[in-house]
Amino acid sequence: MIKTLKTAGTAMGLIFAAGAAFAAPSCGANTGEAATGTPIKVGGIHGNAAPGDFSSSTTAAGAYFDCVNANGGINGRPIEYLVENDQWNPELASQAASKLLVDEEVVAMVGNGSFVEMSVNAGLYKEQNVMTMASACAASECFESSNIVSTNQGPLPSSIGAAMYMVEEKGAQNVSCIALTIPNSGPWSCGAAVEYMESKGLSGTGVYLNPASPDVNSGLLEAIASGADTIIVNLPVGLAVAVLKAAEEQGLGDAYQWASSTPLYDRDAPAALGDYWDGKLFVNTEMTPFDKGGEDATNWLAVMDAYGDAKDPRDSFSQAGFLSAKIFVDTLLGMDPADLDDRAKVTDAITAISGYQSDLVCGPFYVGDAARHMPNHAGTMVVLKDGGFETVRDCYEYDSPYFAPIFEQEAALGLR
Amino acid sequence: MRSTTNTIWAVLGLALILVLPAFAGGQWVKIFTSTTTFALAAAGAGFLYTRLGMVSLVQVGLMGVGGWVTLRLNHAFNFPFEINLMVAGAVTMFLGNLIALPALRMRGLYLALITLMFAAGLDIVFTAKQFPNGAEGFWGVGTTFAADMRRPVVAQSDAAYLRYTMVWLVIGFVLIELHRRMAPGRAWALIRKSEAAALASGVNVTLYKTWAFGLSGLLAGLGGGLLAGSLGLLDSATFRASESVMLFALVIVGGARFWYGAVIAAVLFRVVPGLLNNWGVDADLSLVIFGAALLHAVMTAPDGLAGQINGAIRTLIPSRKSDNKGAKA
Repeated sequence: MIKTLKTAGTAMGLIFAAGAAFAAPSCGANTGEAATGTPIKVGGIHGNAAPGDFSSSTTAAGAYFDCVNANGGINGRPIEYLVENDQWNPELASQAASKLLVDEEVVAMVGNGSFVEMSVNAGLYKEQNVMTMASACAASECFESSNIVSTNQGPLPSSIGAAMYMVEEKGAQNVSCIALTIPNSGPWSCGAAVEYMESKGLSGTGVYLNPASPDVNSGLLEAIASGADTIIVNLPVGLAVAVLKAAEEQGLGDAYQWASSTPLYDRDAPAALGDYWDGKLFVNTEMTPFDKGGEDATNWLAVMDAYGDAKDPRDSFSQAGFLSAKIFVDTLLGMDPADLDDRAKVTDAITAISGYQSDLVCGPFYVGDAARHMPNHAGTMVVLKDGGFETVRDCYEYDSPYFAPIFEQEAALGLR
Repeated sequence: MRSTTNTIWAVLGLALILVLPAFAGGQWVKIFTSTTTFALAAAGAGFLYTRLGMVSLVQVGLMGVGGWVTLRLNHAFNFPFEINLMVAGAVTMFLGNLIALPALRMRGLYLALITLMFAAGLDIVFTAKQFPNGAEGFWGVGTTFAADMRRPVVAQSDAAYLRYTMVWLVIGFVLIELHRRMAPGRAWALIRKSEAAALASGVNVTLYKTWAFGLSGLLAGLGGGLLAGSLGLLDSATFRASESVMLFALVIVGGARFWYGAVIAAVLFRVVPGLLNNWGVDADLSLVIFGAALLHAVMTAPDGLAGQINGAIRTLIPSRKSDNKGAKA
């Protein structure tokens, strides 16, 4: 009976998702007329080079801005979205931020996705009094600085969420977390997952790969040698698939329990992984599952189909990029039109965002005047099933002392 | 005549230091700052190649060491930036001396390979240990927010910092020129002609070869420290062994015999990828351009682009023909 219900639910979801592909997108003022006024400059920086491509966040934000521009813009003014690639290089990240903030004088940064640029530029964002509404943040600075707020969770909550599910539902006793050796990304997030395990009286280890020449086989061997019963893959999607393929070749799929943070929640990942992982791989998704439906989730797919490319990824970072752009546009539409070119006033308006509801995330989005921001810290767990994903635990909040200051902020804003 | 040329170069250099930071945009100020720091390292590699015929493929790796020391000192102590920079230079000078030890027995390709292996070793250490970001402990690498990098008191803004690095580049060139004109320069010239003759003339070959590598290391360390001051955070990707090879190749393209060859090399190394990025073209295309430029240099311009520029100047001003040597570093 339960299986029948699940199958019916999945079918309904697929029909819903398919329907969404044909739905008309709804953007901004939704006037149906192209904006023709003086452009409002907005920036975005992503990382796209080995070992991963995080451009789906700015791609989705760009698609939404195009849709807004075709639908009246911001009081008739189009958004000029200037996107730079940091290529995972601190020098280029610094140059890109200077170009956008100093030369182009953008009023805000939206859709940023990188391991690197936030670490280099967090100070500059504060100095320039600009808010960065990031979407594929993967470094500690994204969540521990005053002028960056992200719609995605980052690898720390997502890894804790995956570990928490595997402990509570699958009886994991010893977790090994595989990530890149970038200190404020891999060791930061896997370190927190290990701390979570230890806080429960269990064990955990971090295994770190060199981003320049990631050796997935030796990473796997190190994870196995740690005595783990559960392996969490906390890597960009391409590398995560490589790790799981190597595990498949060695026949490790049934010998260990497998979980992943959000990058593997990609519409193309099940096909890339194949049937071997069916029912074996549990993935934490920072945003709403694709088949859950909801106004924003449906609109995201419609916007991507109408204004994106068929080859553009439909993944968590794309959802987060769309959501950042949508919240930003709604914020600008609520401002006095005379203030739209004033960076300080745009920053104030973004800072004032509180209790923004969207079905793309589990809780309300907010910013607030704080030294750190992590509004998204509850997610969903899915399992790879029948060439897609099936939800196994809907919206749940993660359990870690790391979130204590975040909960305090939410209580102060009346959101908790 | 030579003093006239030097005056012209000095005026041009001063004008560039004053004008460039004021008129370059935010992005280009950053690019020119990186360019200037790499020009220091390129000057070291170029001078070593010209004066002693020795190939150093570890310059960018030594820049990484300079950057590491500068960051480490910045986060550990409250010293002024200049002190951190000097210590970084001293450390890389010592490392340069260390690398020089095999240089006493080897030359040509074998020496180049030794330096390349040293660069590969540094590459592995940087990747494994990363760069200090303000955490405690010897390696100083934390997983949370990076601490502030203190810049020099006189160079807090990006534009002022570019001027500051340009002044250091001038100091680097002056240091090389002083060496060239004094006892070490004469000793190096003799060693380059014939080590046996140098020994017979009473030149301490060990001392002067070690000295040259030390000077080259010092310049690379200063470059790395200045780059750390510009970015506040360094990444191992910047200091790969392949980058050292690339920088040396561009030193050949730029023209190792001339001081402005190092500037041309650094411009190719950092400005060309920046331009390609700005034009929306993949910056990796610069590798193809560099390859073609290296072929051109090897086949038709052994003195590199700087040699061709010098040749053009000599053609335009025939009276300066006798002054050619003055332009050489």
